[in-house]
Amino acid sequence: MAIVKMNKISIVGLNSEKSLIINDIMDLGVVEISSQDAKLTDPEWLPYVRKDGNEDKVLSYDVKISKVGEVISCLEKYDTTKRPLFSTRRNITDKEFHNKLLQGFNAEENVTRILELNKLLNELSSEENKAEAVIMSLRPWAGYDIPLEFSETRYTFIITGIVPSGIEIGKLKNDLDQQTDRCYFKLTGSDKDQHYISIIGLKREKEEVLEVLKQYGFNNVAFKDLEGTAAENIVHYEEKIKEIADEKEEIEKKIKEAVTYKQDIQILYDRMVIERDKVKILGNILKTDSTFYIEGWVPERSINELEKVLNTYRCWYEASEPAKGEQYPVLLHNNRLVEPLEAVTELYSLPSSSNVDPTSSMWFFFILFFGMMLGDVGYGLILVLVCGIAVKKYKVEGTFGKMLKTLFYAGISTMFWGVMFGSWFGDGVTAGAKVFFDADFVIKPLWLNPLDEPMTVLILSFAFGLIHLFVGLGVKAYMLIRDGMILDAIFDVGFWYLFIIGPVMLLLGGSLATAGKYITIVGAVGLILTQGREKKGIISKLFGGIMSLYGITGYLSDVLSYSRLLALGLATGVISSVLSIIGSMGGHSFLGAILFIVVFIFGHLLNFAINALGSFVHSARLQYVEYFGKFYEGGGEAFNPLMKKTKYIKIVKEEN
Amino acid sequence: MELLLNGNFLAILAAAIAAMAGIGSAIGVGLVGSAAAGVVAEDPKKFGSTLMLQALPGTQGIYGLLVAFIILNKTGIIGGNMVELTTVQGGLFLAASLPVGIIGLISAIHQGKVAASGIMLIGKRPEEIAKAMVYAAMVETYAVLALLASFLMVNGIQV
Repeated sequence: MAIVKMNKISIVGLNSEKSLIINDIMDLGVVEISSQDAKLTDPEWLPYVRKDGNEDKVLSYDVKISKVGEVISCLEKYDTTKRPLFSTRRNITDKEFHNKLLQGFNAEENVTRILELNKLLNELSSEENKAEAVIMSLRPWAGYDIPLEFSETRYTFIITGIVPSGIEIGKLKNDLDQQTDRCYFKLTGSDKDQHYISIIGLKREKEEVLEVLKQYGFNNVAFKDLEGTAAENIVHYEEKIKEIADEKEEIEKKIKEAVTYKQDIQILYDRMVIERDKVKILGNILKTDSTFYIEGWVPERSINELEKVLNTYRCWYEASEPAKGEQYPVLLHNNRLVEPLEAVTELYSLPSSSNVDPTSSMWFFFILFFGMMLGDVGYGLILVLVCGIAVKKYKVEGTFGKMLKTLFYAGISTMFWGVMFGSWFGDGVTAGAKVFFDADFVIKPLWLNPLDEPMTVLILSFAFGLIHLFVGLGVKAYMLIRDGMILDAIFDVGFWYLFIIGPVMLLLGGSLATAGKYITIVGAVGLILTQGREKKGIISKLFGGIMSLYGITGYLSDVLSYSRLLALGLATGVISSVLSIIGSMGGHSFLGAILFIVVFIFGHLLNFAINALGSFVHSARLQYVEYFGKFYEGGGEAFNPLMKKTKYIKIVKEEN
Repeated sequence: MELLLNGNFLAILAAAIAAMAGIGSAIGVGLVGSAAAGVVAEDPKKFGSTLMLQALPGTQGIYGLLVAFIILNKTGIIGGNMVELTTVQGGLFLAASLPVGIIGLISAIHQGKVAASGIMLIGKRPEEIAKAMVYAAMVETYAVLALLASFLMVNGIQV
């Protein structure tokens, strides 16, 4: 339960040293500089200070960054080297980083060049598309041998157009013939939507001809800006497309050659981001003519570090505890075992700074529930291997890395439950032994098979649920006591404990039943007397108390919700045994063995994927809904210190 | 008419009804899939997260299959030698298959709707995928409870 304690830090320094101080703060990466807009409207501050910062400069950096980003993604398209499964940041020493900057390396030139090439490429592509569109539109007219620009002679008119394909051409022709015998009609092509026709007639009869055509749904087609026959044009544009393709190839070759600069360009990108952030943070700083004012948050444990840096400058600073009830940015800190599960907390919402970090208290339950729902040695092994290798080999950072580590632990728990339930790829190992060696090889569950004794597992699920809920209530009590509200802890948590434990003991029966009865009564009376305490008047107090007993239904449904531990476990197990049955259909033979292998691999992969997802979602749900519901309050702002937020490289300090 | 009173027929009918939860899953997964395609068209990187949401309404079909399988196993169809069942026994199987068949079918459709809306959510705010998944999982609770009800009933029938 660790939300890192923050101290408020205020710094006043000289403008001449400002950029140096900001540089050093950024290197430390432990100070969040918060926005001071509120002070700008405060009459006490207003006469003396104004806002620092240069939004135009930030904007121009942003434009540059997006251009460099465009270049990188363009290069990535042509980069043929094998990319690792997970992209991680390259390590680079700060010396190397600065050397790169000093050399004034030609990354910037390359960026401009590649941008131009890319633009050219896009233009060519759009030209290519245009040419293709023209060819498409001309294809049906390939048989039309009059140059397209001719639309009339002195006495005749020429029109081209389309009629729907449902029209009978013979009938159309007949109608035309009846109207006039001085009209030339030609069908140049048809497809499934329309007929393509051309007509030559006398100008003075044009109206009559058009009248007939209109009845058949004729639409005029005009060829703009084209000369020569359709066939000639098609040939011309096909040649053009070829030319474009050659040009494109040329340019792509150039871009491919530039791929070697990718790493330098990535460094350029990260440098730009760092510079942008330095300028951007000025917007949160106040200044006078010769001094500046910074206010922000720093973790208590990092204050010494910060002081050491600040002492080298001529500046004044002060660190103080947050005022009572003041919300501060939230940074979680847990030991190495629990830390990965912070990802699950973050997915929900960070705790507000007055709440507690639920990560460590739910760690055990999350892992336990996940394992129980997936519950298979084989599947657990897959999780352990895949996540273990990914974490070790690729050093994945951030939320995704935490998630992988969480799944690694979940995999261990899955294997544990697999051993307890005797599930090794369901009964896949047994079935495999039968198919391959015609041997009876049964792995006995260490505890029981949930298919045989579902009630036992169901009761165990409920018991886990009760414990889980009790821990949740316990955390609530902890918070109340921490905030000095001991009576509230007794009323709101203690009495509920009694009122839940009592009925459970009654249900268990035997010698516990009598004790359970009294515990229930004490709990119920306590709740009736205290739960209405915020209401006014004796009657509404009592009424509120009695109504609160209805809350037991909420606990009942919470507990029943844990039945999913059994149900999802059954789902994994039964599908596995279906797979074994299908796989064993070929019996003990060569073909049978092949069938078994195929079914085994694909079937179990699918079953694993679906059930691992289900186990994760439902394990998270039990935390989010049942557990968090008892005490948790999200909505904390994440601690966002000024630091080098690089994307491609990780600048490490060189050890001397 | 004689067929309708045949215990074995009723047991197979029960398995069929249970497996029909798959109808709901097919509709639900379909709903999510078409919503997901729209989001992925904008940003292909979201394929992974949308796929996870799409898989959620698929579980009801699995629950249905699960109960169907247990019925078939219990009545010996899978082993190849079906036991002779009385009309009452067959009827019991039929009754036991109803929760997962009906609730599974309906809840999968609704879960699909919720997950499809979740797709829209991660289209705008990809970091909120956990919330989208939990919303969908809320619906699934009732399918889980139905599965449990059906399972316990089938498990309790004496053959």
